[in-house]
Amino acid sequence: MKRKLTMFLTLFFLGIGIISAQTQVRGIVVDDAGEPVIGATIQVKGTAQGTVTDIDGNFTLPAPANGTLVISYVGYRTQEVAVTANPRVVLVQDTELLDEVVVTALGIRRERKALGYAVQDVSSESLQRTGSADLAKSLQGKVSGIDIKSTSGMPGASSQIVIRGARSFTGDNTPLYVIDGMPIASTAAYSTGSSVTGSDISNRALDINPNDIESINILKGQAAAALYGLRASNGVVIITTKSGKGVAKGKPVISVNQTTSFEQVSRTPDYQQTWAQGIDRNYSPNSSMAWGPKISDLPNNPTYGGNVANSRNGNDATKYKGMYFVPQREKAGLDPWVLPQVYNNWDEYYQTGITSTSGVNLSQATDKGNFSFGLGYTDQEGIALNTGMNRINAKAAAETQLSDHFTLGFSANYAITDIDKLSGANDGSLAGVLGAPSSYDLKGIPFHIPGDPYTQIYYRSLTFDNPYWVAKNNTFNEKTNRFFGNGYLQYATKLTEAMSLDVKYQLGLDNYTTHYQDIFGYGSKGAKGEINNYGITRSAYNSLVTAVLDWHINDDFRLNALVGNEINHITRKSYDQYGTEFNFGGWNHVNNANTVTASESQSRERTVGFFTNLELSWQNMLYLGVTGRNDIASTMPRDNRSFFYPSTSLSFIVSELSAIKEIDWITFAKLRTSYAEVGQAGTYLNNYYSKPAYGGGFWTSDPILYPVGGVNSYISYDVLYDPNLKPQNTKSYEFGATLQLFDNRLGFDYTFSKQNVKDQIFAVPLAGSTGASSLVMNGGSVHTDVHEFVLNATPVKTKDFSWDINLNLSKIINMVDELAPGVESIFLGGFVTPQVRAGIGNTYPVIYGTQYKKNEKGQILVDEDPSSPSYGMPMAGDPGVLGEVTPDFLLGGTNVFTYKNISLAATLEWKNGGSMYSGSNGLLDLYGLSQRTEDRESTFIFDGYKADGSKNDIARGGKTDLGAYQTLYSDVLSNIDEYYIYGNSFVKLRELSVKYFFPKSVLPKLDLSLNLFARNLLLWTELPNLDPESSQGNNNMAGGFERFSLPQASSYGVGLNVVF
Amino acid sequence: MKKNIIKSFLLTGLILFNISCSENLMDDLNKNVNDPENMSTRLILTDLMTSTAFSVTGSDLAFYSSVYIEHNVGIYNQSYNAEIRSNEPTSSTTYNNSWNALYSNLRNLKIVIEKCSEGGEEEGNFHNLGIAQILTAYNLAILTDLMGDVPWSEALQPGIIFTPVIDSQEDIYSNIFTFLNEGIENLSKETTFPLLGTQDFIYGGNAASISKWIKFGNGLKARYTMRLSAKTPKYDDVITFASSSFTNKSEEAKFVYNGTTSISPFYKFFTDRNYFGASKSLNEKLISRNDPRDEVFFKPAPGQSAIEFAPNGLPSQVQNRYGISAITTNTAPTYLMSYHELEFLKAEAYARKGAASLTLARESLKKAIVAAFTKPNIGFTVADAEDYFNTSVAGRLTSPEAALQEIMVQKYLAFYEEEAIEAYNDYRRLTAMGNNFIQLSNPLNSNKFPHRFTYGSSDVTTNENVRSAYGDGSYVYTEKVWWAGGSR
Repeated sequence: MKRKLTMFLTLFFLGIGIISAQTQVRGIVVDDAGEPVIGATIQVKGTAQGTVTDIDGNFTLPAPANGTLVISYVGYRTQEVAVTANPRVVLVQDTELLDEVVVTALGIRRERKALGYAVQDVSSESLQRTGSADLAKSLQGKVSGIDIKSTSGMPGASSQIVIRGARSFTGDNTPLYVIDGMPIASTAAYSTGSSVTGSDISNRALDINPNDIESINILKGQAAAALYGLRASNGVVIITTKSGKGVAKGKPVISVNQTTSFEQVSRTPDYQQTWAQGIDRNYSPNSSMAWGPKISDLPNNPTYGGNVANSRNGNDATKYKGMYFVPQREKAGLDPWVLPQVYNNWDEYYQTGITSTSGVNLSQATDKGNFSFGLGYTDQEGIALNTGMNRINAKAAAETQLSDHFTLGFSANYAITDIDKLSGANDGSLAGVLGAPSSYDLKGIPFHIPGDPYTQIYYRSLTFDNPYWVAKNNTFNEKTNRFFGNGYLQYATKLTEAMSLDVKYQLGLDNYTTHYQDIFGYGSKGAKGEINNYGITRSAYNSLVTAVLDWHINDDFRLNALVGNEINHITRKSYDQYGTEFNFGGWNHVNNANTVTASESQSRERTVGFFTNLELSWQNMLYLGVTGRNDIASTMPRDNRSFFYPSTSLSFIVSELSAIKEIDWITFAKLRTSYAEVGQAGTYLNNYYSKPAYGGGFWTSDPILYPVGGVNSYISYDVLYDPNLKPQNTKSYEFGATLQLFDNRLGFDYTFSKQNVKDQIFAVPLAGSTGASSLVMNGGSVHTDVHEFVLNATPVKTKDFSWDINLNLSKIINMVDELAPGVESIFLGGFVTPQVRAGIGNTYPVIYGTQYKKNEKGQILVDEDPSSPSYGMPMAGDPGVLGEVTPDFLLGGTNVFTYKNISLAATLEWKNGGSMYSGSNGLLDLYGLSQRTEDRESTFIFDGYKADGSKNDIARGGKTDLGAYQTLYSDVLSNIDEYYIYGNSFVKLRELSVKYFFPKSVLPKLDLSLNLFARNLLLWTELPNLDPESSQGNNNMAGGFERFSLPQASSYGVGLNVVF
Repeated sequence: MKKNIIKSFLLTGLILFNISCSENLMDDLNKNVNDPENMSTRLILTDLMTSTAFSVTGSDLAFYSSVYIEHNVGIYNQSYNAEIRSNEPTSSTTYNNSWNALYSNLRNLKIVIEKCSEGGEEEGNFHNLGIAQILTAYNLAILTDLMGDVPWSEALQPGIIFTPVIDSQEDIYSNIFTFLNEGIENLSKETTFPLLGTQDFIYGGNAASISKWIKFGNGLKARYTMRLSAKTPKYDDVITFASSSFTNKSEEAKFVYNGTTSISPFYKFFTDRNYFGASKSLNEKLISRNDPRDEVFFKPAPGQSAIEFAPNGLPSQVQNRYGISAITTNTAPTYLMSYHELEFLKAEAYARKGAASLTLARESLKKAIVAAFTKPNIGFTVADAEDYFNTSVAGRLTSPEAALQEIMVQKYLAFYEEEAIEAYNDYRRLTAMGNNFIQLSNPLNSNKFPHRFTYGSSDVTTNENVRSAYGDGSYVYTEKVWWAGGSR
């Protein structure tokens, strides 16, 4: 005590002494390009005195004449200069990027070079270049080893990130999302199941406002993520949101941004424009087909033509010469006689979508802490009628230094998301947009009878609704309210000179409620409609305590040890109200439904984890990391709940070897390796009874709905649970190398990783003869070999101009080695055939369905029976695997050109290989709409073989065989699923942006930048007519299956960013 | 001091551990509050009746049977493929839903039987036991009648036996009779357990329902005894069993739909799929005998003014062109066993016994025709039916052989369309017995008549025993089931 007092007094008087000898320093801080550095911190060494540079890089500060100034700025090397009256400080950019600190598991900050595994980060700058409202979409092409599947260009469309292939057949393969240290839900609350009916369901990563993100780190491998235990197997996306931390102390920083973009449907199919609605070359005004007569011949139709005397024209062939009679126009009260015409129903339907994103953020840092407050608003109107999204994001974060040892802080986020969607596949809202014959005026003919809005007028039977009627009467909506955030208290102390202890307790909450409405209005499909209201409230609480001991043992060794405990507790409550048969139109409410059923579901789960992390480093050359975590999961069966997972990693900085250190052009070289075991828990329940359900099969709605006449029944549920369930186990190892050359102008990073996943938990399909459909048990294994390659280069760098390249190449081989005994494959989604499934010996997943009948050589055989209508045409063979969904490789590349205040960035993505079931393409042929069905008059020889091995020479079609094309496309090929399989390789210009920073000389008081951009410009694809990235499903079948799926959009926009 | 800190740390950890994750607590957290883990048999049986009627007898199997037996013509999609014998008849996915429904019913029935048997929770609940046994026999018979040799002795043990072996139809049939005999015996016992009441969707669950279930059991014994006629004809047994069965329409085993929360399967198939056209060959059969039902069986497709009949085997694949069934309504019942079927069985047995019982055969046939004509969705009066019998039918019953043919043709017509499975079974049995009474006109039948239905894909893909028996599915065109003269 006495000593302290002495020190204090000494300092006090010394201080007075210093003050008495002060000079006023007026200096300027510039960067190596001579541009002023704004907000650089200037501190008098050894004191708390300091200031920041102003907008012109100038600063004024009283300082002792013999003192030293410390000038620091993020991204630049900290400099010390002796006090002079007018110093000019040139800050040098910190090119040693590899000394940069990255956030790893549980928020542990580590030097990048110490990591024995691959992590990749994406800057906020790169994320926000094109103002996408969806985080996953803005990551496309920017990270290696990950596959991002987006399903459509609809507002709020689901998209998922899969890192290094799939580990689970039917479960979740998407990574854990951690925002500011708090794990949050990112997956959809409901799976779209087989994805053949209903609408898409957004995944909850959508609630994250990309504008709030400061940085994203992706922990790709299991070793990187192992500290997260049971949730680590799919990798982790660590998001750090903007806070006041990075802001220069002193005055508040306000940033405002506004982005507006315009969306257009990304592709228009090529339609034939010669043939009218009908079949067998006959005009048939209610047919879904376009196998009718030539459009120009419609006036000559005996029943509907104006050139022929018939009952419709009062047997007067002169009155409506050159015209024909359209019954739908008559129904609509219009003049039914029209001139034949070709309509582009696709382009006429789609509108220009508008996305507007506004954000404002206020941040300030003080000596005692910092805070940040942000608001964001996204308003999106889709390219399809009556679709859109509104999202409001609010966030606040603050941190305050309570004392020398204690820090208190919080981060809170609130999001309101409201999405209007449409449905796909068998409920295809836009089936008629794709499928309307060119002769039918879909937009021009009213969609309902005058005075009766609920009786549709349509060109075909009401298996599907008229898309214009859909926009007025059907509703697919989801509304989410979400809060997530955490508060923390941190205690840091130095135990000795070389040892420090850091203890942190964090309590987080992630709570959301989503209400969904799927309404087929009164009159839908010619019936009385139905309504489904359902929703879920999910709350997750996360308690996390960590203690970190950092010990510089001696000059060579340093130990960093962490122990901790995490409790994650989740409760869910969901409801479902289903009503059928509205009494009358205009009131699409459950109270207007004649039959209503309801159900609810509640569940709780908890995971308790104890973990440790040890890191030992030697000099700056060797870094060893070891982690261990024991998880106890409530969702597993009794006495089978506790699991331990270890990992270890080693990083060796080769460039620290003296022999290599001498080589000039090698800036940095590192070898790394790691091994990890992680698990994934399943959900175990005791076998139970449930109310029988009668959906599926031929039924579009439940034919039997309990209670039947007030009577209920319960039968043994057909999914059973194995009481010996254990978690599925992933063992993975990883090797990697990083090489930085020529002063970081050229860098390579390569990673090979192998994952062996055993004991997958899934509902193993049982033989029906067991009386049950599936057993939730362990079964099956997959392995994944992943090659990731990253290249960074700066080919040109001058004072004014620089060119930066970033390339990401991923090759992911994901093989199914084994399924449960006796099981050959498992169904992931789709129809009876075709379907998406996992099959032994195939990559995951594959498309399965009816193949062409082929000979031993694999050549397609044709029907040689002259009496058969399909003579000379292919035949349906056995079902089999038709194609693999996984691409051979993915290559993403970004080029950034910077010239003075202008930067141009372009991100391209090339997906090579992989295939999909394109139901829409097949149907365009079946209906006789596609351009390939334009020629119906010449002869053709189908490209196939005869049974004797000779090439098919049977000519069909021509003047004497006019129905042959219709038979081929409409009857023969339509029954062969293989015909619907297309390669969907593509090259897309994901992003193109030009950003202009207004120079300081023009606007000295603020930072202003203007950004012009375009997104999702398709350059080339193997898939005809449609965008290869529109598909069904928010689950593991996504990307491989399409049928009346909603289209993708291209967008063009402008963004403005102001900081003052 | 340090030790205390460590101690308190450990203690805190221990407390934290106990309050956060003890096994009991975790059990409690994982408790399924949404679904019951146990159930009384009265609440299980209800759906077994529903599922037997709707999923097994009433829908997919009946739809395909009605195509093969030419009650309907498949004019679109799957039904069209079945009509033109492309893919559907040989594919293991075609009947998979029904296959699974059958075994699901059988497993739940096994649960009911175990609960009501010795040592079970409801030991002594003889009536529920008997009903479960009769429904087991019924489901099992449909399964083997359509699919032939199927897994049975090792079936229904999920998680224990993953790949049940296939048993012979002959053995399964002996099991069917055992279930029926035991079921009738148990229903005849006294029990202290309450009646099913409204949980009994077939007979209403009142005191009188028990005797009706017994009659249903006896009726099934008659049906299945007749089924084996090509193997072991026992016509006296058929008559004996039939005589202990239904005496009038009110006793027949049928499932009635309310039209809102339960919808007749053929009606639902029409509204949801619209895959059927009116059968040309059926129409021709009716016209050739001047049958008044020709007027009530069919109607034009929506939007059409006249009925165009679909040519069997050769329709165009087009909807809303061919005529459709006019007896399809949202409340049309599913017959598990109709009173007219019972009288037809009797009539056939009498006719097969020869001239001595021809009069009895006539009587039964008349009762059968009256019952069939007065079905609610047919709507003729008793007088209409009797008039028809006297003018169009009676004259044909000149000899036992002629009577036999007329009985079987009348049965075929009466079974339109809700009893298509039995019509299909009869056709195959008659063919095996050399009685080509029913002429089908699908030209593809020359080498592609489906003699059976394929196994379900859930077994073909997971059970090697079934997979090898299934092969590529083409066996359906060549191999008859055991009772129809085949070997498996």
